[in-house]
Amino acid sequence: MCLGIPGRIVEIRDDTGLPMGVVDFGGVRREVCLAYVADEVQVGDYAIVHVGFAISKVDEDEAHRTFKALEEMSQLDELEWLGDVAEASLEIGLAEAP
Amino acid sequence: MRYLSEYRDPKLARSLVDQIKRRASRRWTMMEVCGGQTHTIVKQGLNEILADQVEMIHGPGCPVCVTPLEQIDRALHLARDPKVIFTSFGDMLRVPGSECDLFQIRAGGGDVRIVYSPLDALELARRLPDREVVFFAVGFETTAPANAMAVWRARELGVTNFSVLVSHVTVPPAMTAILESPDNRVQAFLAAGHVCTVMGWTEYEPLAQKYRVPIVVTGFEPLDILEGIHMAVLQLEDGRHEVENQYVRSVRREGNQPAQDLVSRVFELVDRQWRGIGSIPRSGLGLREEFAAFDAERKFALDGIRATEPVECRAGDVLVGRLKPYECPAFGTLCSPTRPLGAPMVSSEGACAAYYNYSRYHATEEVAP
Repeated sequence: MCLGIPGRIVEIRDDTGLPMGVVDFGGVRREVCLAYVADEVQVGDYAIVHVGFAISKVDEDEAHRTFKALEEMSQLDELEWLGDVAEASLEIGLAEAP
Repeated sequence: MRYLSEYRDPKLARSLVDQIKRRASRRWTMMEVCGGQTHTIVKQGLNEILADQVEMIHGPGCPVCVTPLEQIDRALHLARDPKVIFTSFGDMLRVPGSECDLFQIRAGGGDVRIVYSPLDALELARRLPDREVVFFAVGFETTAPANAMAVWRARELGVTNFSVLVSHVTVPPAMTAILESPDNRVQAFLAAGHVCTVMGWTEYEPLAQKYRVPIVVTGFEPLDILEGIHMAVLQLEDGRHEVENQYVRSVRREGNQPAQDLVSRVFELVDRQWRGIGSIPRSGLGLREEFAAFDAERKFALDGIRATEPVECRAGDVLVGRLKPYECPAFGTLCSPTRPLGAPMVSSEGACAAYYNYSRYHATEEVAP
């Protein structure tokens, strides 16, 4: 039930004092209450939406940073893996040497 | 970026799995708190891929599952009332009460409607002033701001034919109950990312200190979960017990302040019954006295409805991690998603449903070492 889905805010308006808006979830658009993020969001921002309420603005800088860190870690991993393979074949080579 | 599909990248996932395998010197036991995380873990088979490094215990973070039978029976009673339009999130409709479920009431002519947001229920009440609209306000801290807003708006707009049947629970008291239990095996927690989006993580700092348990605030996509497990394993290996945040794109330390403010204006802490677990002091939210007019329990005098839970359902043991779903004697036989004994088999976040739907319930999967 705590499902929250990121979507892009495409419209912001005021409904008799309540900040509302339209959020695009990969092509599907829905009315969303923006009251809890009203001070920080603009049209074009991403927000995490839960049961029709935006509960946070997606921190895009942080998201990119984490993702980059994960990718770098993965590349590092591949290098290490290559190193392991090289080492292993060397060991095998040594073991098989007469 | 769309902040969704990127976190399902198989190459990055493999890399994280390798890192966890490399760092874990033994098999650690950790609990993911939220049922949404349980589903990602079981669906992607992360518990099987990492079976030698971590045992994942599935936590109580499924609001549908922990809503007490008594409250379901009260919902059924209201839904039968011809004056009432009973509104709820779809998840609650198949949860078994003492005699039947909301779907069956609807089939029998009761006016039961699924809504996407509590504001939809309020809108329905505005459009149909001659009917009584009741919304089933269940959930954890994530959902509390939405439900608080519906009540707040109802008062603001002078809507008198709208009320809520509240069964709100909060996470930290449940974690404390698990840690205090004499047979607790949890060595680290993946805390629920969306609960912490609302509440922040300062409440978890004293828990991590007191029980010397690492807590990693974690998201819901496969890469989030794997990174959360990785961070928890690093803490366990280093002998640290801190609160760390994996879900940085959504969670800030102080949480969402405007949401917390409205929740505490509308709700107050109350003792709450957890299905299968029992009463936990100050673990739930109830409407404050000034919102009594919107409290369905008082409006419809539901206090007399009491219920006792069936003994054959071991949902309580599953919810605190004492029992894996497939270890329950009723699993897949007496109890299935179409004929459930307990809520964990019905809810889209329930651990039993996850094992049933993704067919990962081989008895050989987790043999205690």
